[in-house]
Amino acid sequence: MSATALADASHRRAAESQWAVETHGLTKRFGENVAVDGVELLVPRGCAFGYLGPNGAGKTTLIRVLLGLTHADAGTTSLLGYLVPKHRDVALARVGAIVDEPRFHGHLTGKENLQILAAAREPESRDRIGPSLERVGLAGRADDKVSKYSMGMRQRLGVAACLIGDPQLLILDEPMNGLDPAGMAEIRDMILALVAEGRTVVLSSHLLDEVERTCDAVAIVDRGKIIRQGPISELLAGASLMLQVECSEPDRARALIEGANIAARIEVGQLGLGISLPGGTPRDVAAEINRILVTEGIAVYRLQEVQASLEAWFLQVTSRLGAP
Amino acid sequence: MIATRFTELRKRRGLMIALIVVNIGIPTLFLTIRLLAHAFDPKSYGPAGGYSIYTGLVAGVMYVFGFIVAATLGCTAGSVDLSEGMFRHLVVTGRSRLALYLARIPAGLAIVVPLVAIGFTIVCAVCVFAAPTKLSYDGVNVPVGLSRAGLENWAEAHANEVICNFGLRVGPSTPKADLNSVLDNVRCGNGVQFGPPSVSGGAKPTEAEIKGVAAQIARTDYADYASQFLYPSNSLMIKSGLWLELEALIGLVVGLGLASLLGQRTISVILMIVLEVILTPIFSRTRIPHLLNLQRAVVGVATAHLTPGGLPVLGGGGGGPGGGNGNPLLIPESTTVAVCVIIAWLVVWTALGAWRMMTRDA
Repeated sequence: MSATALADASHRRAAESQWAVETHGLTKRFGENVAVDGVELLVPRGCAFGYLGPNGAGKTTLIRVLLGLTHADAGTTSLLGYLVPKHRDVALARVGAIVDEPRFHGHLTGKENLQILAAAREPESRDRIGPSLERVGLAGRADDKVSKYSMGMRQRLGVAACLIGDPQLLILDEPMNGLDPAGMAEIRDMILALVAEGRTVVLSSHLLDEVERTCDAVAIVDRGKIIRQGPISELLAGASLMLQVECSEPDRARALIEGANIAARIEVGQLGLGISLPGGTPRDVAAEINRILVTEGIAVYRLQEVQASLEAWFLQVTSRLGAP
Repeated sequence: MIATRFTELRKRRGLMIALIVVNIGIPTLFLTIRLLAHAFDPKSYGPAGGYSIYTGLVAGVMYVFGFIVAATLGCTAGSVDLSEGMFRHLVVTGRSRLALYLARIPAGLAIVVPLVAIGFTIVCAVCVFAAPTKLSYDGVNVPVGLSRAGLENWAEAHANEVICNFGLRVGPSTPKADLNSVLDNVRCGNGVQFGPPSVSGGAKPTEAEIKGVAAQIARTDYADYASQFLYPSNSLMIKSGLWLELEALIGLVVGLGLASLLGQRTISVILMIVLEVILTPIFSRTRIPHLLNLQRAVVGVATAHLTPGGLPVLGGGGGGPGGGNGNPLLIPESTTVAVCVIIAWLVVWTALGAWRMMTRDA
């Protein structure tokens, strides 16, 4: 088969791929330390995808491997359907990324830094410098030296650097770092707008609230392994059910519930009982608890189901607070 | 991409000022002081330019400084993307890392070549236009550009000056007995007899004999006289300019490769300066037994062998029509080997720098 035919086949396969990012068995070691451990990651196209994990979980290392900034020890990676590193140049031509803190040549202006990056991309990139700076709100400071930029402005310049390549996939590592609440809101809106344009955004962040507000799907990584991934709504549906019960005799109530053979973890606090039920527990259990307490003469002042948040779920599943 | 790399380097104000000061400022300041000194007190201070000033500046100052300037720029170009965090952005564009590396060479040359050329042009201009009007040969004002016969005729007409002042460069064919008999009996300008009185015990020489000896001295001195000029020839200036640019090219490419390999600017610059200022003069002059071939493989030794004729070789001394290869102080090396060594350095350091750039974690 000729080189042209191979290239055509590769483009066709890439166009047909439903995944913006696809990894299988991806592994990266630093000596004895396994920073990325057999990661199987599937990021659908056209969504905002959160990549969550505690500090040192291997988030940035995975991103660096995906982008070819460092080599993998094992496994395969595809970006936009193209195998990396085999078709790295074609894949990265349509990828924009911020990895770690965005740093630029401080003695050059924001615009000049983008010109350097545009020169390394296709010729059309030069025409996108102005609109990209406009989009991130830096048009007015484009001719200022980057050394005079604040951290937030550098973050925005990093996003602008991504946009000059007209990317189908953006990989943003902690893009909210250093931003004030208004700046965070702007970036959030921009990510949502980019997704609305049909682009895929992979967002690595420790700001769970931001991820929950911005992303459609997430993957949780811990100690180099992905331990959960999927749409947020589905993942939260599998989270444990939390009940808050305010009653007259909390200690007796606790003993009654524990004696009723209900699989629950119960804590007595200032607000009453905190009851944690395993994921998938039917809501009828809440009614059953109420019936037991009332039958035994305990006054129930309030019984409330606490909405599971991504943060609560994250803390449940990561090893920092014990096994999921 | 080359244009943006050029802009990135050119806008490093501190670096550019340092490069301009070293490569243009120092020779310009030196020549300006000489011009002013000569203008205010021409009897005490000679002309600012001239052949000897040219050779001293080109071979002694611009050669070394041009290399250091180019090496500093190369080291900067090879390390700043990494140290300032731009390397990662550039790699993420998907552009070949090799192309990213190679773009720095023409970008650096676009800065170094004009810098060296400007400094060199200033030196040439002053050395030509402010050159002395008479050639002072062994302290005697001698017309410039005489043929062998012309110099002999002139010597006959100025026999006493020639006999008293010209260095006696005695060759194997010089009839020493005749010379001695004349020299012993010639009284110089200060009234002192040139040699011990009547050592040979001969009669006082005739006018014709004195003229004959003067012509003989002129004949033996002609080769040395012919290498003395009021100002450098066009041919020498062109060759010197190209030689300086070659040195700058080597400095840039080797500096770029070394800094890319180490990922560090300061150490790379220090190593380059050590190579140029310490190692090269030692290796080019000292014959170390069993290590001669290794010495020949040092790029500075190779470029010293390509020194244009008429310029003193690295570290002073020598000079003359033979240039580097004509200097007996240098370790022997053929021009072909010197050219091969230079090409090898350019290729190997480019390959090393590019390899590191392609394999480095971003």
